[in-house]
Amino acid sequence: MYAVAEVIDDLCVANKGCRLCIMYCPEANTILFDKEKKVAVVVEPRCKGCELCVVVCSAAKHNAIELVHR
Amino acid sequence: MSKEKIKINQEFYDIMPLEYRELVEEGTYGKENRGWKDVGESKELIEEHSLCAGCPESIAFRYVLACLPAPEDTIMVGSTGCTSLVFPHVAVHNIHSLFGNQNAVASGLKRALSFRFPDKIKDVVVLAGDGATVDIGLDMTLQSWFRQEKFTTICFDNELYANTGGQSSGLMQKGFVAKMAPAGKKFDKVPLPEIAKSSGCHYVVKMTVSKPNRVEKAIREAILVAREIGPTYIQLYTPCILEIGKQMMEGLQEMRDSEGPNKRFEFEEYVSDEARAYLDTVNPKKKKRKKAIVTK
Repeated sequence: MYAVAEVIDDLCVANKGCRLCIMYCPEANTILFDKEKKVAVVVEPRCKGCELCVVVCSAAKHNAIELVHR
Repeated sequence: MSKEKIKINQEFYDIMPLEYRELVEEGTYGKENRGWKDVGESKELIEEHSLCAGCPESIAFRYVLACLPAPEDTIMVGSTGCTSLVFPHVAVHNIHSLFGNQNAVASGLKRALSFRFPDKIKDVVVLAGDGATVDIGLDMTLQSWFRQEKFTTICFDNELYANTGGQSSGLMQKGFVAKMAPAGKKFDKVPLPEIAKSSGCHYVVKMTVSKPNRVEKAIREAILVAREIGPTYIQLYTPCILEIGKQMMEGLQEMRDSEGPNKRFEFEEYVSDEARAYLDTVNPKKKKRKKAIVTK
């Protein structure tokens, strides 16, 4: 079982210019900006589950990312 | 070189790996004003590296690669350590040199490139850990600065030999106890930014990688100064979360804690007069805007 990050679309504020998770993710090309839905998306096979995106998103009080077990 | 050189022959297009196709279609080669804002919306020049989950060094790698002004004309020189694990996953020309030898290799490379391509701008960027830059390779690092070789040296400072289990390094802070340095560090952290200033570097920055816009400005200006004026040096704090006993999600906080006022990684920038004059000619528009705001 692996822990990976998942974005809750309704809470994500990427349409307002927030790029916190995309900026601070240590993995390349893992959290991307979906230009159609205007939210951040996690590419699950690349996610190592380090939880940094959850930390920065929660610190900004958006709480739009959570870890799920796959 | 531009994107043309990595284009795929149409007949082989469908059998090429997805990642390579994405790199050709969405990579930022040849784009003006590259920066950290491109990440997430275009293909990055680093892919599926093998560093630990949550490693701050990989955040630094992403920013450095996103901020190179001309990645298609850049050659990076690496050295042994965690950085050498990443270079095989990087879509920029790179050379792996012997431990500590990186600035000597880069000197020769820069001279050969300026001889072979006299009309083109070719950037050489050295990227190595603190062991390679300060302990084992200090001779080569300093000699290249004394000789005024025109390339950028970037040091990923994690304050110990993380790759081999936590031995004491010259850049380790005084009194720090690591897994394989149980007696604690006996002397002060080597002040390499100060040494760089007095050794002839024209642009010296010491900082953490917790603020991408600052990293972008530093990398960009360091490479521009290195093209025209002389050697430049950037020291980035990229803590090894495993060796300092942190959880994988605590790397960012560790960097923020270390960059406060009077902490050892407080932001420091040194620009020589020559380099300042050159940078003013490169960024005249920004200067004018700032002045306009002030006069209002």
